[in-house]
Amino acid sequence: MLAVFRRELKAYFTSPIGYVFVGFFILIAGVFFAISNLLSGNPNFNGVLSNLSFIFLFLVPILTMRLISEETRQKTDQLLITSPLSITGIVLGKYLAAVAVFVITLLITVLYPVIMSFFALGGLAWSEILGGYIGFFLLGSAFIAVGLFFSCLTDNQLIAAVETFAALLVIWILDFVAQSVPSDPVSGLVFLALLGALLVLLVFTGTRNTLATVVTFVIAAALVVLLYVFSRGMFQGLIGKVLSWFSLVKRYNDFSMGVLGLSPIVYYISFSGAFVFLTIRMIDKRRWV
Amino acid sequence: MIQVENVTKRYGQRVAVDTLNFTVNRGEILGFLGPNGAGKSTTMNIITGYLSATEGSVKVDGHDILEEPRAVKRQIGYMPELPPLYMDMTVQEYLSFVCDIKGVPRHLRREDMSRAMEMVKITDVARRLVKNLSKGYKQRVGIAQAVIGTPPVLILDEPTIGLDPQQIIETRNLVRELGREHTIIISSHILPEVQAVCSRVLIINRGKIVASDTPENLSRGLTGDNRLTLRVAGAEAAALAVARGVPNVTAVHSTGSREPGTVDIVVEANRDQDVRREVFQAFAKGNLPLLLMKSMDLSLEEIFLNLTTEEREVS
Repeated sequence: MLAVFRRELKAYFTSPIGYVFVGFFILIAGVFFAISNLLSGNPNFNGVLSNLSFIFLFLVPILTMRLISEETRQKTDQLLITSPLSITGIVLGKYLAAVAVFVITLLITVLYPVIMSFFALGGLAWSEILGGYIGFFLLGSAFIAVGLFFSCLTDNQLIAAVETFAALLVIWILDFVAQSVPSDPVSGLVFLALLGALLVLLVFTGTRNTLATVVTFVIAAALVVLLYVFSRGMFQGLIGKVLSWFSLVKRYNDFSMGVLGLSPIVYYISFSGAFVFLTIRMIDKRRWV
Repeated sequence: MIQVENVTKRYGQRVAVDTLNFTVNRGEILGFLGPNGAGKSTTMNIITGYLSATEGSVKVDGHDILEEPRAVKRQIGYMPELPPLYMDMTVQEYLSFVCDIKGVPRHLRREDMSRAMEMVKITDVARRLVKNLSKGYKQRVGIAQAVIGTPPVLILDEPTIGLDPQQIIETRNLVRELGREHTIIISSHILPEVQAVCSRVLIINRGKIVASDTPENLSRGLTGDNRLTLRVAGAEAAALAVARGVPNVTAVHSTGSREPGTVDIVVEANRDQDVRREVFQAFAKGNLPLLLMKSMDLSLEEIFLNLTTEEREVS
């Protein structure tokens, strides 16, 4: 894993990609810092971080697009997979390399609050800023995990980048969508039924087995009906609730207000873990098709 | 050393490799021969653990590739069809990375790398970017990568593709040299190459083994019997009559005249019977000078074509 990590980290800076990412990030951070802190004389740095997190959405694909797609295209994955390394080690090495570049960049921006602290009367709210940074780090790591996943689906960097961007954008607007979806129990029921249908479809395409499909269908249908009969309250605003499970942004807002809760930390780590795991499974699965 | 049992690989409906069975003994150089798309690369990818077989098992030194992938992968140096090179690294960086992932101990690394580089003669490009190397050099870096860590088994997928004749000869000698210490599987669609280096040849077509033997036995065995071509100065009827009179000859036929005043005939005998002396004596006695006598072993090319085209007609 360490070997892959080192190579990947080095590769970022033997190609323009690393420089483009770091340069662009720091440039935007500087612009935001200048406008919202320096020019307006405002010591609140977390606003800058919040705005940056949106810009970061555009930068993640740059960081992640070539991680695995390039290996597939150049067939260098044959070297890695036939070496004694485990797939988990390979994927983790790559993921951590991307995260490392991100963390290095993030650490450079610490200069801004440090500069500010020389001039801010009454000092800065350092613990709040620290919270903001931790939140940004977790959010960024989750984004990178999504990018990593999309990079393993294709051997074309551009496609990987566009898919990553689209997925992250969907995650980003999930909050707005969650607020405006219908919240009555009936639409909740329809939503759940659609989810059930999707599950049945997945089982069918995955196994091509009629019995398994029918069994899944019966169980899913029974569950939906039973839930609707016995706990109708659950269906109130169900769509919104489900959508907000996937909202990375809502949890980030806690951090930028200086609230350091355990549950969002666990959430982000499991979100990243899930996508890294999916990537490992996808690569492992390629051997079988 | 390597046991391949009932290995089948299906891509959807298409069968790429069909119940393949073979073993490779320690120290053997096995040649994989077959037309493009015959399943050579797929088989190699399965042995090295890059792909998984749909059915069947592969064991290397007693370890199953699915159950103990690491134990197997540690024993294999693999050079795929396209050398897996990172374009943004220098040759030295690349080989050092390969040492890293193969877990070559730190103190042996320098020695191992220079040995590998000298072996394939790339020491002079060690500091150049892989991106800027010619095809031949890239190919050699690919071979160097496979021998790093001195794995007991080497699997080389068409190692001479894209090389010039000089380099092809060098590579062949290299493979022969490596064969002293390693068990090697090498694939190719160039026949003389396989004939030159391998101790055993497997001919694969459409995912099936159609022949497996030493190159010599293959050429002899497939004709079924011993055939001689003769060019006789004299009349056709007389020559045929003399030939029929030779003991142990089973069949005689003429193939026409290619030089004025001569006739070409083919004499067949049982496989284990050498009739060349008797033929010579008989024609000398009949006062018909023999201008040419040659045994008609099939060349590997012919065997290859025979086997692979017959197969096609059947299916």
